[in-house]
Amino acid sequence: MCGIAGRILGRPGTVGADLVAMMEAMVHRGGDSTGFALYGERRDDGYIVRVVGDDRRRLSADLETFLGVLRDCGGDFLEDPTWDDTGQRHVSVRMIVSPPRVDLADWVARADAIGGFQIQSVGRSLEIVKDVGTAQEVAAKHRVATFVGTHGIANARMATESKVSPTASHPFWARPFPDVAIVHNGQLTNYFLLKDRLTRKGYRFLTENDSELIAVWISDQMAKGHDLESALERSLRALDGVFTYLITTADRLGMAKDRWAIKPLAAVEDGPDLAIATEEQAVRKVYPGEVAVRTFDGPDQTATWAVGMVEVMR
Amino acid sequence: MTAVAYVEVGDRPIKAINDDIRAAIAAGNEVVVTNTLSRHNLGIGLPDGAKVRFEGSVGYYCGGLNNGAHIEITRDAGWGLGEAMAAGEILVEGYVGMSAGASMRGGLIHVRGDAGPRCGVAMKGGDIIVEGRIGYLSGFMAHAGRIIALGGAGDACADSLWGGEVWVAGPIASLGVDTKVVEPEPAEVEAVEKLLASRGLDDAGRDWKKIVSAQKLWYFDSRDSRAWLMI
Repeated sequence: MCGIAGRILGRPGTVGADLVAMMEAMVHRGGDSTGFALYGERRDDGYIVRVVGDDRRRLSADLETFLGVLRDCGGDFLEDPTWDDTGQRHVSVRMIVSPPRVDLADWVARADAIGGFQIQSVGRSLEIVKDVGTAQEVAAKHRVATFVGTHGIANARMATESKVSPTASHPFWARPFPDVAIVHNGQLTNYFLLKDRLTRKGYRFLTENDSELIAVWISDQMAKGHDLESALERSLRALDGVFTYLITTADRLGMAKDRWAIKPLAAVEDGPDLAIATEEQAVRKVYPGEVAVRTFDGPDQTATWAVGMVEVMR
Repeated sequence: MTAVAYVEVGDRPIKAINDDIRAAIAAGNEVVVTNTLSRHNLGIGLPDGAKVRFEGSVGYYCGGLNNGAHIEITRDAGWGLGEAMAAGEILVEGYVGMSAGASMRGGLIHVRGDAGPRCGVAMKGGDIIVEGRIGYLSGFMAHAGRIIALGGAGDACADSLWGGEVWVAGPIASLGVDTKVVEPEPAEVEAVEKLLASRGLDDAGRDWKKIVSAQKLWYFDSRDSRAWLMI
């Protein structure tokens, strides 16, 4: 059934810790994997790239090949890559790269073709950290609670329709749109139809997960000139199935809920701050007092919030 | 005068909280539950005659399987309030989330604010009074009982109603499939108004719409398959 959450802070703060607290409160909604899309300080001089490598023993060779392709495309490492030191077979790598001279999509396509490494996110401020395990396990492993930033989304996953692995966990990056991420509670029934259409347009998908499709579908709408509000609104009819999802860009957070109204969502809007989650009790981990809670119980709803400003309604 | 026992929710395990509530009831106390933090499954299966007040908002399934207790919630309630309750009374001062009174068999739920979607879904008896508006698909597949909404109803009101009644004063966004609006008998109106008056909601001037099942879905008829395709 999955649990999702989002957080906006008017000024940079403990967005990691807040999301961890909310996800711990929803561990009963899914404990097979947990993930976070976190937005830190925006970089002007390059991209943060988050990668999961299949095999830690091949890490140096994989990094070398990856760098080779990056240099071929006119980019480079701006800092030495770092990775988790857990000793597990899969390895989470964080890189800072200078912008490739080729189109970002072309570089990502070439990097994806190498194998061994799966790019989880590329952004000026976005970092996607996700893994198998409960909120507590994943947060401890990746030190999520120490992350300082402006906004983020998170997901506790109960897998229904694709495999359990770090890459198959939420959030998903809207490949190849920098800084766009999604978390989703539900399932689509027209996944293959829409995926086929987007694939014909040249989009590529890392997984067979329907949530990844929504992120790319929304980004494609925005690339065609729709703003986030209108893309969310259009998704209510284009996507078939039951869904409540949260999508983030570098400066916005949006939600959409399907016409059947099956998947819950509740929010506290506190000036420039926002806490939003599947369950109200999760929101109240960051707002323990008696506060006004906005519930999204009804069908066919969208809303967006701006980061660093007061709320912008649709 | 009955003694009052206080039970704190906070971060404690739900089972321990519910055990404390039951123990306090068994000792003859009225119970006040504090720091509720919208947590789920509070006050399940409470016995006849108990009085329990939740100070704050509660999460899912509060007062479920109620067996005759009087329960009060001073703010909002989450999904599945009073699910499958058999008897007793639940008063919510604020808003109530989706599926309030789902599958309830008896007793009364009284909501001062609005109710979310699927209010009274599959209910088999009892009454739900909502002073505000009932949400999308309210009364869906109810078998018996009454839903009384004073502030109107959302889309697909009483959809696939099998039995029972949905009474609405105020605008109805749209009716669900297999429903019909009928003129209530004066005695029925009197009974509804009497129930409302007992809750302090006297008002003789209401314009009632009483919705019942059109009974087309009761029997499958292959010559009338279009009725089924509406579902």
